[in-house]
Amino acid sequence: MERSLTMVALFAALIAVLGLFPSFMLFTGVPISAQSFGVMLCGAVLGARKGALAVLLFLLLVALGLPLLAGGRGGLGAFVGPTSGFLYGFPVAAFVTGWIAQNWRGVSLTISAAAGALIGGVGVLYAFGAAGMMLVIGLSLPEAVAALAAFIPGDIIKAVIAGVVTGAIYRARPGFVLTR
Amino acid sequence: MLAMTLEQPTWLHHWPAGLKMAVMAAAMVAFLPVTEPVVIGALVAATAALYASLGTPALRRGLRLLRPLLLVLAVIMAWHLIIGAPRQGAVICLRILGLVALANLVTLTTRLDDMTAVLERLLSPFRRLGLNTAAVSLALALVIRCVPVLTQKGNALMEAWRARSPRRTGFQIAVPLVLVALDDADHLAEALRARGGVARPD
Amino acid sequence: MSHPEAIELSGLTLSRDARRVIDALSLTLTEKRIGIVGRNGSGKSTLLRLIAGLQAPDSGQVRVHGVDVMRERKATIGALGILFQNPDHQIIFPTVEEEIAFGLTQLGSPRPEARTRARAVLEAHGRAEWAMRATQTLSQGQRHYLCLMAVLAMEPAVILLDEPFTGLDIPTTMQLNRTLDALAQQVVLVTHDPELLVHFDRVLWLDEGRLRADGAAGDVLPRFTEAMHQMGEADPCWQ
Repeated sequence: MERSLTMVALFAALIAVLGLFPSFMLFTGVPISAQSFGVMLCGAVLGARKGALAVLLFLLLVALGLPLLAGGRGGLGAFVGPTSGFLYGFPVAAFVTGWIAQNWRGVSLTISAAAGALIGGVGVLYAFGAAGMMLVIGLSLPEAVAALAAFIPGDIIKAVIAGVVTGAIYRARPGFVLTR
Repeated sequence: MLAMTLEQPTWLHHWPAGLKMAVMAAAMVAFLPVTEPVVIGALVAATAALYASLGTPALRRGLRLLRPLLLVLAVIMAWHLIIGAPRQGAVICLRILGLVALANLVTLTTRLDDMTAVLERLLSPFRRLGLNTAAVSLALALVIRCVPVLTQKGNALMEAWRARSPRRTGFQIAVPLVLVALDDADHLAEALRARGGVARPD
Repeated sequence: MSHPEAIELSGLTLSRDARRVIDALSLTLTEKRIGIVGRNGSGKSTLLRLIAGLQAPDSGQVRVHGVDVMRERKATIGALGILFQNPDHQIIFPTVEEEIAFGLTQLGSPRPEARTRARAVLEAHGRAEWAMRATQTLSQGQRHYLCLMAVLAMEPAVILLDEPFTGLDIPTTMQLNRTLDALAQQVVLVTHDPELLVHFDRVLWLDEGRLRADGAAGDVLPRFTEAMHQMGEADPCWQ
């Protein structure tokens, strides 16, 4: 019980920390997507349920007024702005990533985590992001997709890296990774 | 780790958090059906006046919080100019500006513990359904405690990278950072157990 | 007019939150073994990072063996190695061989060559069997040693150490100390323990960013120890 609590809390903190290092990643993009790497890892390491919980905890703190979003942003304003769709998509992305990582057993964790990150952390997340932009900015679906298209290749690479990192973590601490 | 609340108290700081959130939500709804740029411009001006009534520090901080939005708004406006719908573009941009500014106003004028109190009240009916509210409070506190610690370790790892490489930090340091997080989670769990563990739901 | 084999600090200043962390420091360090002592918070770790070029000063310059540490990063990394306090915050890679090879690839070696050199370094230190071991299975002392080997593999002219013996037991401290003694490079060691610097050539005593003493170990260390004891006997400032 205590271990679950601290794991969820620490991964929530990790999302914040990974987002606060924009130069962590090899590529730049919309500031919000630098954080999705942490979201992917939450799902890939903690699994669907706890991964989503960690993300929800993170979002709760942002809503309470802590500047934990990439670029030191935060507060309630982030949940009504043009990129707010991504925020709502974060927990779902973590859930889907975790679900695929823990259920696709036929291959190595690196591969199933990367697949989960691609489908959840990119596919599902961008769907939410696009929906948010459609609602807030009034774009049509093709327009929203066109606006986001430039960021997708970078995020695909990020999802693959998330898989690689998850595999490395599993090799170092097999007992801690909940998706196996 | 500093919360975003404005240190200098304003008249809005004294309002109960729950009331503020409800009123702001209602005010935000006023923005939604508007299609005339003049009307929505007036609403945004009213929001700005509200900020101004809180004093210069509040106005300045409010503007600073809106700065990251400006680029996105400029792009949206430019797009609408290109497709020949400037009025629509203006309405959309002003609406976003107004909504985000109102939402930020709650964040700026409400202390973290007051927000957490609202959260606890919102969660209390779920206690009967098995939600462990003490665990939620503890989890919040743990995250707040751990962010600076992990940031420091992340910085140390970045420094260790820069000490051996002239290139920008690579993704590889995510691995030792996550391992540190996992080990910290283990140690903290041990510390919690040693102090009686997490309270079970009633 | 720079001394080729020296660490030269000129007018080094760094402030943080309106406080002078390092105050207009100018030094020429040519000795083989240099120690830096001071209380916690005196600025010694910051000074080391300024020398390594990992921290930018507000004003002033650092040249290590002629290389400008802020502007010539690649040359600096080839000339200077630094060891931090906690190996867990330094070891980046999962296997020993990768960790040692990293610096070499960053300096331009192709991967296979770097791996060969890494294995040669392990061999030279009598630890060839460590090559494929997971870094996280190493003991604390072994991890410190790994960090040292990773730095030595890059063949620097200068090695900086920031309190390298923190938390180690006595035998491990003695063994690591012996290894450091045998190094051919110029060594700068930051510590709050004067015992470690007894055989050093020159000791700098840093107090609130300023040089309180600078001279032979036999000169500076007793004065430092005396002052520390006096402070220890006085009432703490937090009462």
